[in-house]
Amino acid sequence: MFVCHCGKNIAGTVDVARVSEALARHPGVVYATHHEYMCSEPGQELLRRAIREHRLTGAVVAACSPSMHETTFRRAAASAGLNPYLVEIANIREQCSWVHEGPAATDKAIRVARTMVEKVKGNHPLTPVEVGHAEKCLVVGGGIAGIQAALDVADAGFEVLLVEKSPTIGGRMAQLSETFPTLDCSQCILTPKMVEAAHHPRIRLLTYSEVEEVSGFIGNYHVRIRKKPTYVNPDRCNLCGECAKVCPIRVPSEFDCGLSERAAIYIPFPQAVPSSYTLDEGSCLGLVPLRCGECAKVCEPRAIDFDMHEELLEEDVGAIILATGYELYPKEAMAEYGHGTVPDVIDGLQFERILSASGPTRGEVRRPSDGRVPKEVVFIQCSGSRDPELHKPYCSKICCMYTAKHALLFRHAVPDGKAYVFYIDIRAGGKGYEEFVNRAMEEEGILYLRGKVAKVFRDGDKVMVWGVDTLTGKRVEVAADLVVLAQAVVPTTGAPELARKLRAAVDAHGFLQEAHPKLRPLEALTGGIFLAGAAHAPKDIPEAVAQGSGAAAKAVAILSAPVLTHSPEVAEVDEALCSGCRICAPQCPYTAITVDEVAHVNEILCEGCGTCVAACPSGAMTMRNLSDVQVQSMIRAALSEVPEPAEVKGG
Amino acid sequence: MTEKLEGMSPRSQENSPRTSDLSPVTHHPSLKLAVYWTGSCGGCDVSFLELGAALLDVLSKVEIVFWPALVDAKRADVEALPAGAIDVALINGTLRTEENREMAELLREKSKLIVAYGACAHLGGIPGLANLSQREEILAAVFGDGFRPTPPPGGSPEDAPPELLAAALPLSAAVRVDYVVPGCPPPPGLISRTFDALLGELPPTGHVFASEKALCEECPRTKEDRRLTKVVRPHELLPDPEKCLLDQGMICLGPVTRGGCDAACPKAGMPCTGCLGPTPNAGDQGLAMLSALASLVRAGEEGEAAFASEDKVLDAIVDPVGTFHKYALPATWKVPSSLRGGGSGRGGRP
Amino acid sequence: MAEAGFEPRIVAFLCRWCAGAGADLAGTSRLQYPPNAIPIRVNCSGRVEPSWVVDALRSGADGVLIGGCHPGDCHYMVGNYKARRRVYLLRKVLEELGVEPERVRLEWVSATEGARFARVMTEFVEELRRLGPLQGNGQG
Ligand code: SF4
Ligand code: SF4
Ligand code: FES
Repeated sequence: MFVCHCGKNIAGTVDVARVSEALARHPGVVYATHHEYMCSEPGQELLRRAIREHRLTGAVVAACSPSMHETTFRRAAASAGLNPYLVEIANIREQCSWVHEGPAATDKAIRVARTMVEKVKGNHPLTPVEVGHAEKCLVVGGGIAGIQAALDVADAGFEVLLVEKSPTIGGRMAQLSETFPTLDCSQCILTPKMVEAAHHPRIRLLTYSEVEEVSGFIGNYHVRIRKKPTYVNPDRCNLCGECAKVCPIRVPSEFDCGLSERAAIYIPFPQAVPSSYTLDEGSCLGLVPLRCGECAKVCEPRAIDFDMHEELLEEDVGAIILATGYELYPKEAMAEYGHGTVPDVIDGLQFERILSASGPTRGEVRRPSDGRVPKEVVFIQCSGSRDPELHKPYCSKICCMYTAKHALLFRHAVPDGKAYVFYIDIRAGGKGYEEFVNRAMEEEGILYLRGKVAKVFRDGDKVMVWGVDTLTGKRVEVAADLVVLAQAVVPTTGAPELARKLRAAVDAHGFLQEAHPKLRPLEALTGGIFLAGAAHAPKDIPEAVAQGSGAAAKAVAILSAPVLTHSPEVAEVDEALCSGCRICAPQCPYTAITVDEVAHVNEILCEGCGTCVAACPSGAMTMRNLSDVQVQSMIRAALSEVPEPAEVKGG
Repeated sequence: MTEKLEGMSPRSQENSPRTSDLSPVTHHPSLKLAVYWTGSCGGCDVSFLELGAALLDVLSKVEIVFWPALVDAKRADVEALPAGAIDVALINGTLRTEENREMAELLREKSKLIVAYGACAHLGGIPGLANLSQREEILAAVFGDGFRPTPPPGGSPEDAPPELLAAALPLSAAVRVDYVVPGCPPPPGLISRTFDALLGELPPTGHVFASEKALCEECPRTKEDRRLTKVVRPHELLPDPEKCLLDQGMICLGPVTRGGCDAACPKAGMPCTGCLGPTPNAGDQGLAMLSALASLVRAGEEGEAAFASEDKVLDAIVDPVGTFHKYALPATWKVPSSLRGGGSGRGGRP
Repeated sequence: MAEAGFEPRIVAFLCRWCAGAGADLAGTSRLQYPPNAIPIRVNCSGRVEPSWVVDALRSGADGVLIGGCHPGDCHYMVGNYKARRRVYLLRKVLEELGVEPERVRLEWVSATEGARFARVMTEFVEELRRLGPLQGNGQG
């Protein structure tokens, strides 16, 4: 028992000599003393010497808050041969001498010190948990966030598996025309990164692939990846495109959001990576038995191989970055805006394709129904967002900006055209964003109408838009040629299921849940899994890139550690008492508990919160160095009377 | 404080009830047996019949010295015995009257081994819920205000009915208990296990003839969706035959209660009410279950928005003490009417 | 028995991240509050078992405080929600057993709320003074 004066900080209020004398008589205490400054070198030496001379099996330092010097004293004890987990701090400064006065402060200090002595008596010597780990990283999703994360991890010297479910990486950004607020061409800034990822010696691209199964835990995940056959050998394909010309099939193009058609054998866009055609088995006339085979006949380099099989890859990875991206809330869900049945009511991504130089109209603004150049275009923001009654309650964040961009690009493309934007609020928090929106409002002659659109319907070759301008209170009716809905951003279909496979939680909307909203925004609750991009929440490109890099840094911290270490003060199961009732498992926020016949705690995943311990009905789950028995004696030590001083010593 | 039996921890070697092989082939000297009831419903005495044919085997190996339900012997006959004359006394029932306590003490003196038989002797049992009221309140409610036990007309003072103790108590509150056969009443598997031991090899003192693990271990129901979105009472639901009752909203004390009954109640669609008592490390059976149950409650996403609806789920628990402490109130909460039972309510112990 | 000058005894289970840190801040800000509570540090309010609370009441405490993080701030995300439900149910049991539920308090105190911590302590001590000693709890 070591009582610190902390100069006058403690000794000015608490009679430290009395505390030390009272504790000297506490059962189990063989040595008690007090010192000016325990944290000073002489103070620490006092501790070390006492440990050696009295062969102490535990020590309590009554001093300042454990958040100040717990490490100091534990380290000092360890250097004298006492297991650091047998050293505890009794906080008699912040929670006693600084906030109380008179004899009551001394009485409380004695009680506080006694509780810690009781705790130490029940402590066990522990050693930090250590495990090895794999040195590879899995990145799921080949959009800009995933590409950035993969590049950063690979640049740091670690192998990366970049898994993308479509035939090319690039993600949503590849579909965009120009990016706000700078209006640089999206593909032009993206494709170099795609190529870099493709050629990086430490990145293995697995396109047309999906993560099928994940087991294990931080540092030691085992993943199974299914790579679908593309039936085209990418090394041979020279992109001549002859195959697509002869293919009799035409289906809507995913890349052009249904605004154009593609063959069953196709390349999503010319700069796709890997640069190869892909045969989409689902829309092909048939491979087994072969029913058409025209494409192979015209393929000069003989790249087409109908015998290609799917591959199953098994890999061990140390960290996983989820960058599964987003899609748009379907127009079909918008009853008020025509259920997606009006051809000239399109969503934001479709308009991106229309604006894009590589798009179905080669960048000319023409409307889908008849290919005419629209003169009156209505943009509706918050379509499906911020609507807790009918649709999504959250703000999709990027729509204010891209709508301003859309309207502006439309005005540039069709100078005599008229653009209307219906909005609830304008949210333009970002570098240069506010200025960009102001430019759209003030310089580009775009009519911003604050208010909601009640109804959109087809009227001949026009699309009628009925809305209210809430600033003037007037009804607004526009006979538009084209309506663009800024549909809500939602997680990619299937992403929540994937998250579930990884035991990474998702929120009520299917977005990945971060481990802590403020302090751990890049991490999933499950250790070793990190989040990047719009899979986590609606995000614009710079944010997605920043988060990709952040997640990569987090992953590298794991991959580069010699071993993973972890505090041993975690939960533990007494298998002889565990009935396998499974009450504990769902309590754990980190999915550290698995139950078969009995429960098991993964020491690396457990953060030691103790919620499962309190929930375990049979007392089979315990907390190392804070067992119920320890707490019971701590309670008693806190409450039992303080004996009168044996003899009055100088203080 | 919790009245915990000393040395409860040694693990039972046999977890499966046996009724067939009770008798070692060698001839056994007769075991002098007493069976007594204190504040009991009589169910414990009847429970021996559940042994079926095996009962005959048991009876052939014991000599009944004292068993008011079966044999006509009086207190005076027991008093006349020398100390330690009885090999084993199985005592069932809660201690509710002065006479109960005296008889327990008498049997302790005359017996080599005392076995607390059944939930009442073990933990206080259902009659122990009377501890929610003060003794005076109980007497007033039953007999009217100002009631004092008096002898029947013409009787002598010692014919007066015995005084009610201040509280219902488990057997261990009055005498040292060697073994426990838990249950309300004890299930046949455990009874035969007990006789096996009494007639053969004795376990360490303090042994409880039941499983160390909770009932869930032997319950065949599948435990999956560990969340409680509603609380229903048994009569309100015809439970799915496969799924855990807790997952269906019934408050089943299986997770906190010793196994050994082969999950008889859950198998029949009734939730466990905890009669075999807490598992060795559970501490206060009711509080341990309370904690588990509150942990499982979910009303949508956890968070501030759900607080009110979570409370509503918990509010559906009618009579929390009766639910969580159905059998163990006297064993875990010593004084009647809570911690505050100063004065007359201050426990029945000398 | 509510004698004059009655000093209630309190056990305070404080989570280390919020309530405990808030108590430390009350210290660094030198905010005086009554010394009646003996703190016991836990990682999270979700570690606190109802049986500890009862144990404290039986061992001489007149009140028990559980301090955790504000909703949404728990270091382990959801521990405080479990604590809240456990305390809610425990208070019902205590009431049925004749113990004033006010003797068990659950308070959210963040690491920046030193003043709030001091206020909570002061109020709780006052409330317990009003309620008087918990009788039959071993204190006499
Ligand atoms: S102590 Fe907390 S983190 Fe550890 S296993 Fe239990 S619930 Fe999970
Ligand atoms: S809650 Fe306890 S008894 Fe149930 S499975 Fe978990 S550790 Fe085992
Ligand atoms: S960490 Fe403070 S309540 Fe959970």
